[in-house]
Amino acid sequence: MTTPKSRRESTADKLTNVFFTLPAVILYSVFFIYAVFVGINYSFTNWDGIAKAYEYVGFKNYANLFQNQFFWKSLTVTVNYALLLVALTMTVSLVLALSLNSIRHLKTLTKSVFFVPSMIGGVTIALIFDQIYYRLVPTIGQALQFKPLMQSPLASAATALFAVVFVNAWQAVAMPTLIFMAGLQSVPTELYESAMLDGATTFRRFRYITFPYLMPTFTINMVLAIKGGITSFDYAYALTQGGPSRSTMLIGILIYNDAFNNMKFSLANAEAVILFLIIAALSLVQIKLSSKGSVNTL
Amino acid sequence: MKKEGFGWRILRDIVLVLGLLLILVPLYIVIINTFKSLEEASQGFFAFPASFNLTNYWELINKNNFWTYAKNSTMISVVAILLVAVINPAVSYAIARNFNRRYYKIIYFYIILGLFIPFQVIMLPLTKIMTGMKMLSPSGLIVLYVALSLSKGVFMFVNYIQGLPLEIEEAARIDGCNTFQVFTKIVLHLIGPMLATLVVMDALWFWNDFMLPLLLLNKTQDYWTLPLFQYNFKTEYSFNYTMAFTAYFMCMFPVLIVYAFGQKHIIAGLTAGAVKS
Repeated sequence: MTTPKSRRESTADKLTNVFFTLPAVILYSVFFIYAVFVGINYSFTNWDGIAKAYEYVGFKNYANLFQNQFFWKSLTVTVNYALLLVALTMTVSLVLALSLNSIRHLKTLTKSVFFVPSMIGGVTIALIFDQIYYRLVPTIGQALQFKPLMQSPLASAATALFAVVFVNAWQAVAMPTLIFMAGLQSVPTELYESAMLDGATTFRRFRYITFPYLMPTFTINMVLAIKGGITSFDYAYALTQGGPSRSTMLIGILIYNDAFNNMKFSLANAEAVILFLIIAALSLVQIKLSSKGSVNTL
Repeated sequence: MKKEGFGWRILRDIVLVLGLLLILVPLYIVIINTFKSLEEASQGFFAFPASFNLTNYWELINKNNFWTYAKNSTMISVVAILLVAVINPAVSYAIARNFNRRYYKIIYFYIILGLFIPFQVIMLPLTKIMTGMKMLSPSGLIVLYVALSLSKGVFMFVNYIQGLPLEIEEAARIDGCNTFQVFTKIVLHLIGPMLATLVVMDALWFWNDFMLPLLLLNKTQDYWTLPLFQYNFKTEYSFNYTMAFTAYFMCMFPVLIVYAFGQKHIIAGLTAGAVKS
């Protein structure tokens, strides 16, 4: 127990402790918790965001959403986006971590370069790739005679989502790679040595030694990546604003558009609440998964 | 160290080279095109510039309110980080050392709750709350950033502080220090590494953030931050991409400079933070 027990605490000390907590608690309560309740409250009204008065309409917004094609489409798009993002990010960052971990020369320099993407702002990199997609990719597509790439991938509903995921992944890979590398360090080298003495192939060493040690890291990375994918906004907004034909209409963008462009403020709040419930469910899953075994239960 | 088979080493090298290209080529494209005029660029997208022509840069700085936006971004990020660096450790220390008291335990879980609440839930109500409180300004944004930094900050710091040995603080108390002095003279130094991690993560967030400025500062051009500027710039210069690239590069530049000098610490700090969480 890290809390000191036997200590005559002066009133000054007690006050100090309380004062230390006050700014945080007040700020958090007003701008976070209160905001959540305000949002939930709005979802039960018919406010368009501008009018001077509004009424309470019960669960009407939620009933609407249940049948709302656009909402379901956005949910599907968002789930697809998250799954694609996670698959791409996890594979690439794991491969990168393994690769970076095993090089001997120029390790720090290479690591540094690989981390640059996460320093740049999301909007900046999205806008840069917008130009690359628009000007560079068609040239390549023409040269390779590869139909999907002969115009900017962002212009076609079939390829837009992949194009946005790619940009997101370009940035998102850095952090999990770092985390995986840290996880890889925790594997005791003796295990590898004795495995090699026993003649295990590289693949076997990975499967029976590295992977079990990486499982907790992997789980956490996965859930964080899924949550990140579901709430993603910047890239899709800067690149496509949700189009073409709503093929990249992530939930975050739908909420924003409905609130500020479509004058459906209360509906947007209901959408946000539903998103909240989905994320809450995911978080519960995450907690359950991370309290289950790590390497210690082997 | 593991000795890889020859085949694996080739594969690994290919992977790394591909990765490096994927990262460096876009950056290369951006940088070289900032030195070209539009005509020169349309002749050769990839070509190295004829000379290091700074016309685009001058035009960007002089024609637009670039310095206003840079000033806004800087002010917001710096002030917010300073406040974050003071408030987070303070509340975390109070919680960590008083965890046996109900008030502090409740506050801890209360604040941690925020980790499970996605931003979209509060995004819309916040716009109305901030409008009502007349906080649609850079200062208002600063307050908001501090409030939103708490969930993650408290989570990271409380765990870290609870791992610190009590003896040093106890010794200080025996010497007559009260809680405030223990905090400022001792704890603040001990939490250095974790503080560095939090500062790096949050500074990156504040500097590059797009959503909150979009929601709160977009209407008044004087309040724009650099990300907002870049986004709004897009429509204005959709054909003049050399100018656009110049804008993007100038916005990236400060971060890249800081990174170039501090990369060892930045990467180390983030790794440490990642391992802890």
